[in-house]
Amino acid sequence: MNSTPTVAVSGIGCLCAAGMNMQACMQSITGNGCAPQPPTRFSSDHAVAYPVFEVPQQYSFGGAARNSDTLLTADFALTATLEALADAGLSRADLQDKRVGVCIGTTVGSAMNNEDFYWQYRQGRHPDMKAVTRFLNSNPAQVIGQEFGLTGPCQTVVNACSSGTDAIGLGSSWVRSGICDIVLAGGADELCRVTYNGFISLMITDESHCKPFDAERKGLNLGEGAAILVLESDDLCRRRQHPRRAVMLGYGSACDAYHLTAPAPDGRGLKAAIATALAACEKSVDDVAFVNAHGTGTPNNDRVESRVLNELLPGVPFLSTKGYTGHTLGAAGAIEAAFTVACLEEGKIPTSAGFANKDRELPAHPVQHETAVSGAVAISQSLAFGGNNAAVIFGKGTH
Amino acid sequence: MTLNEKLKITIIEELNLEEITPEEIDDDAPLFGDGLALDSLDAVELVVQVQKYFGVEIKDMEEGRVAFQSINALGHFIEERQAA
Amino acid sequence: MRIAVRGIGIAGGFGCGVDQLRQAIVARESAPQYVALKADHQDLEMPVFLCDTTPIEKFISKRALRRVDHYSRMAALGSCLALEDAGRQPQDAQHLAVVVASGYGSTRTTFSFLDSVFSDGDACASPTMFSNSVHNAAAAHISILLNARGPNLTVSQFEMSVSSALFTACRWLQDKHVDAVLFGSVDEYCSVLGYSWQRFFGQAPAAGMQPLELENQSAVAGEGAAFFLLTRDEGDKPPYGYVTDIKFGRAQRSGPEISENSLLILGADGHKTSGIHYARFIPARNQTAVYTPLYGSFPTGSAFDMAIAALSIKESNIFATPKHAGDHSGLNIVRTEQSLDSKQISCLKFGCNGEFGMITLVGA
Repeated sequence: MNSTPTVAVSGIGCLCAAGMNMQACMQSITGNGCAPQPPTRFSSDHAVAYPVFEVPQQYSFGGAARNSDTLLTADFALTATLEALADAGLSRADLQDKRVGVCIGTTVGSAMNNEDFYWQYRQGRHPDMKAVTRFLNSNPAQVIGQEFGLTGPCQTVVNACSSGTDAIGLGSSWVRSGICDIVLAGGADELCRVTYNGFISLMITDESHCKPFDAERKGLNLGEGAAILVLESDDLCRRRQHPRRAVMLGYGSACDAYHLTAPAPDGRGLKAAIATALAACEKSVDDVAFVNAHGTGTPNNDRVESRVLNELLPGVPFLSTKGYTGHTLGAAGAIEAAFTVACLEEGKIPTSAGFANKDRELPAHPVQHETAVSGAVAISQSLAFGGNNAAVIFGKGTH
Repeated sequence: MTLNEKLKITIIEELNLEEITPEEIDDDAPLFGDGLALDSLDAVELVVQVQKYFGVEIKDMEEGRVAFQSINALGHFIEERQAA
Repeated sequence: MRIAVRGIGIAGGFGCGVDQLRQAIVARESAPQYVALKADHQDLEMPVFLCDTTPIEKFISKRALRRVDHYSRMAALGSCLALEDAGRQPQDAQHLAVVVASGYGSTRTTFSFLDSVFSDGDACASPTMFSNSVHNAAAAHISILLNARGPNLTVSQFEMSVSSALFTACRWLQDKHVDAVLFGSVDEYCSVLGYSWQRFFGQAPAAGMQPLELENQSAVAGEGAAFFLLTRDEGDKPPYGYVTDIKFGRAQRSGPEISENSLLILGADGHKTSGIHYARFIPARNQTAVYTPLYGSFPTGSAFDMAIAALSIKESNIFATPKHAGDHSGLNIVRTEQSLDSKQISCLKFGCNGEFGMITLVGA
């Protein structure tokens, strides 16, 4: 019996193309979802307009006009944090006398890549320095820490596509080890022309709606958004009599050490990450209700994941939710963790949007219908550029 | 300079294979796997270089697999597309 | 907490390796190079502490480095030097975790990627440059070059990157998540940064970097990488000592708690927006040193301070603050070499918004 303190998930905030809050997102992914569209905030001169999952135009930050002193990524992170805190029944005042940490994953949110600024600089003009100050003001963990006056550990994780999963795993260890009473953990990222062009140049984007694990899959669609989980010591949660949405049981991560962009064909890093996470919470395959896979829709990723899931977790139902949200990069692991908690609460997982035809080369396939799931725990996993692999394991909040 | 020679120089310079000379690249040797031992990231980079320096588009890696068999194969691919 | 520091690998404007670092510290000065810069139609020369990565070729073949840019080369060089300093072979790296801190990430390649788009159109964006422009490219290259398959983490939050990343590296060891961590930092100079400095701060003063003039702006840009091999305490008295504490805070809430028994190494690096915070919180009773004029100003400079602290512990010596570092009344600045005795060393870094991180090391 694991005697280390339990980490409760007491609140969740989430926003992405599927919805402006957690409830709207879940309605979308258990309903018809939405389709990606050509980007509206920027244009490109590619022959094809690769579609993306944009957060809807009517976005507003707490009803106020958007703060243009910070990047959209920071605003997404703050909006999701406010929803998560409300869901956890925690006010700003409640945070002041507690040891509160922040751990947020991102990619674009930490990048100084403003094209207008750089274009003007290259032309020898006198660009407005606001683009630079905006970048300097937008580090997601720092923004949240400053907004709430937090003095605990503060960390922005930039592990590419596994950042959100890593941030939640790392944040949970701060609660488990007693350093923090509460950790605001998650991820945020915005769509941006630079990453759009970057992924297209790698020839791993789909010209139409992505098809995770499908025989006809061609690549991913980019997306954007944020999700934050309030991780809290179970003790504190019980004392303030707030229900737990889930418990955060285990985290594992490992590097393939193989290639800058391609996953190791043998899935060695992912296998090690899953094994570590399961061992950390003393759970076995039989306990796993389902897996929220990374499932980007690229030929390589889905092949590796299918093989690993078939080998380590044979027969365990899995899904990809990227057909509902796109690949939200630094936010992906967090948004998918949020969905994992909600699906565990509901005892069912939706179909994987975009998946229709089984790929005969793959040994395992995602669910094709809404599927009831039983089992004490669920896994959410991510694979990243640079060979990072991360897995987090959630258990049910109620006994 | 022949097309094949241009291709070899482009590959060496753009993929930073500084210890290799054009003369050392066999026109029929595989570019990927054995031979020059290029990889998937080199492949997508070459697609961009072929577009940039020779004005020819490689639509996907199905076409890429055919075009990148060897220097000769790539040369033929480019000539065919340029003539079209 | 007692996390053993077993090896140091460092490269920056002063040169590379612990020996060259020591030479620069003992000489009490280090000269920047001058780079040409265009700003507002003026041709300027800006002092920058640039890092030469040629020594990486002693460890890694040119072929293996062909896609590794300057940012990742600095990190790879720091990593290899740290393993060498620790007496470890690269092939022992398979179970290593890798933790990297970077303030700005791979900026040169980020802008080179934009160059590829601006010069030849969106369809000619370079995938190699894009892949190298992500912040975690350095950690990825290190893991590939050394076959390090443990957990891998990159952290980026400007001046707090080092203390934040080290916090996780130490936690992983304390929790027995891993047995050894290759922890380090990397930041690079690029022309856009130089231009931005000109626009924000104007020309660097002729007198050079004087970080102890805490209310003045005198920063000189730098770049480099500092890496450490860290393990749990194995009871064997590692020469570089132990990391025993990492504190975080916010000046607006309260300043850092500084023990009387601490030598303070200030991360003050000539930026007045952070300088004002040091002025408020450094007690007069503590011996205090600043070494930033030896390597310049960049967000992850505190890892360089940590290296100097570890070297001080190894030699049981407090190195004198560099010449011409300026002065600030009320600070007890060490200006001549003297014995460390049994003091602990705290490396304190403030960011411009008052956030701070403090790393404390102690001898075995």
